[in-house]
Amino acid sequence: MKQFSTFSLKIVFIVSIVWFVNACSDDFELNNLDETLFVRHKNADMPAYIRGNSSEKVFLITLHGGPGGTGLGFTGKAFEAIEDAYGVVYFDQRGSGNSQGHYDEDDISIDLMAEDVLALVKVLKRKFGDDSRFFLLGGSWGGTLGTATLLKDQSNFKGWIEVDGANNPAGLYDLYLETFPTTANTQIALGNSVDFWEAVLALVAQVDPVNNLDDFLTLNGKAFEAEEKLFEDGFIASVENGIGGNETFFVYNFLTKAWNSGKIQSIFDDQGLFQTVDFTSQLSEIRIPSLFISGKYDMVVPIASAQTAFDAIGSTSKELRIFERSGHGPMFTEPDLFANTVIEFMNTHK
Amino acid sequence: MKRHIIILLLCSALQLQAQGGADGTAFLDRTEFKVGYSGTIFWSNGIAVGAEYLWKEFKKTKERRNAQRTNTHQFLFNGNLGFATNFASKTDTGGFTNFGVTWRRTNKKGKQFSIDLNPLGYYRSFLPETYRVNGDNVDRVSFPGRGYYSPSLSVGIGKQRKGKFRSGSYFNITYSPRFNYNARTLPTFSIQYGFRFNFKNKKQ
Repeated sequence: MKQFSTFSLKIVFIVSIVWFVNACSDDFELNNLDETLFVRHKNADMPAYIRGNSSEKVFLITLHGGPGGTGLGFTGKAFEAIEDAYGVVYFDQRGSGNSQGHYDEDDISIDLMAEDVLALVKVLKRKFGDDSRFFLLGGSWGGTLGTATLLKDQSNFKGWIEVDGANNPAGLYDLYLETFPTTANTQIALGNSVDFWEAVLALVAQVDPVNNLDDFLTLNGKAFEAEEKLFEDGFIASVENGIGGNETFFVYNFLTKAWNSGKIQSIFDDQGLFQTVDFTSQLSEIRIPSLFISGKYDMVVPIASAQTAFDAIGSTSKELRIFERSGHGPMFTEPDLFANTVIEFMNTHK
Repeated sequence: MKRHIIILLLCSALQLQAQGGADGTAFLDRTEFKVGYSGTIFWSNGIAVGAEYLWKEFKKTKERRNAQRTNTHQFLFNGNLGFATNFASKTDTGGFTNFGVTWRRTNKKGKQFSIDLNPLGYYRSFLPETYRVNGDNVDRVSFPGRGYYSPSLSVGIGKQRKGKFRSGSYFNITYSPRFNYNARTLPTFSIQYGFRFNFKNKKQ
């Protein structure tokens, strides 16, 4: 019995050592990456989840929406397909998801968060080599942040993919006031969800014509409701086919995620993100190949925003793709088309 | 701030030890050790160990429904050390320690209700591979993670097993904010379920 115990202890010890050594190992397979590392920059520690096939050392860095979304929020059928072709870097931005740190809220700015993205690029180069190539993809608020990043330094990127991106957050208010009545009148004429759309018209008539935060938040909330109605009435495809499984539920502590999201949003609301920030006049400075993807029925960042950005961008190689059956989440509603569009763009410009 | 917290924690630990130091038996009489699960089930799971030193004890008798009920009220010093991780990611792993006072009421059936107030608390996150970026310099960080002042408040129920080596069980819900987490204070909640042990009872 004693011999058996000693033998068992030895086995447990050896297995523990092997496990520990493996856990500490830096080895990775470029064609099947599943790495998590943190970027420490200006008092924040921000996780980057690096996945997929980076055998060519081509990475797609993704910037989530929000502010206050989660890096892995993009995962699903579309990004699985992209991961098969290229490395994908999902990044929890400062104050979002599983990011942590010590800093003052006065220090938070779009400028600083753009520097965080450039810091991420430096870390990826250190980890995977200076010959690594990067594409930047921003969804919704990620479009704002991505634009700010490229205006700081676009030399690191082979291309820019903006998905329902808000490069003019201050302009969204007016876009809501234009888009809501147009869509509402069309839907009422078709006899779809008439009560809802009449309420939308009443709301538009009731809000202050001058951009203000309270009314903006009301309209923004209504935009999400409107997309639900458009889904129910068959204009927007179901997300069921494209959305990820339960993985992100277990990765992000619900309370931490919600708290982080609420705080970073309130900080940017207080700073006047949706009243003052507009990059439209600077878009001509961005000259790298650019792809704009917008859902035809995007009520949250209406399609006109993508058209304006497409017209204003300084790139000679640029493309605007409208997804006919999508709202604010084309990667979930039309995942195959989304993946093919992104991969094709990366294939062309890598 | 961090240095002051560590000094306070050490002083508190030394004080606990000193109170039982003169007579080892008395210390064991008055001390229970505990070990149990600590976590949130879905997002973090771990283990916590601790000790509780009986400071004051008194009985209160109340008349209720024509019967006398006697409850024991205790004030205890307590200290805890724990570790929890999220098995679904490498981004939420940490260790914690906290010290403070427990008030516990035990009825004649051994059912317990307790409140722990631990003003001295510290949480330290353990991060995976981390790189510090300063200008164009990128350096790998050794033992990456961050420390946070993290006091705690627990409310719980339990069951006493008088005179037994495994002297009781407990189930607590704990609120432990992490101060200066990102730009503000992160509220965290967790549950603890475990058993208490009295080594003096083992000898009996």
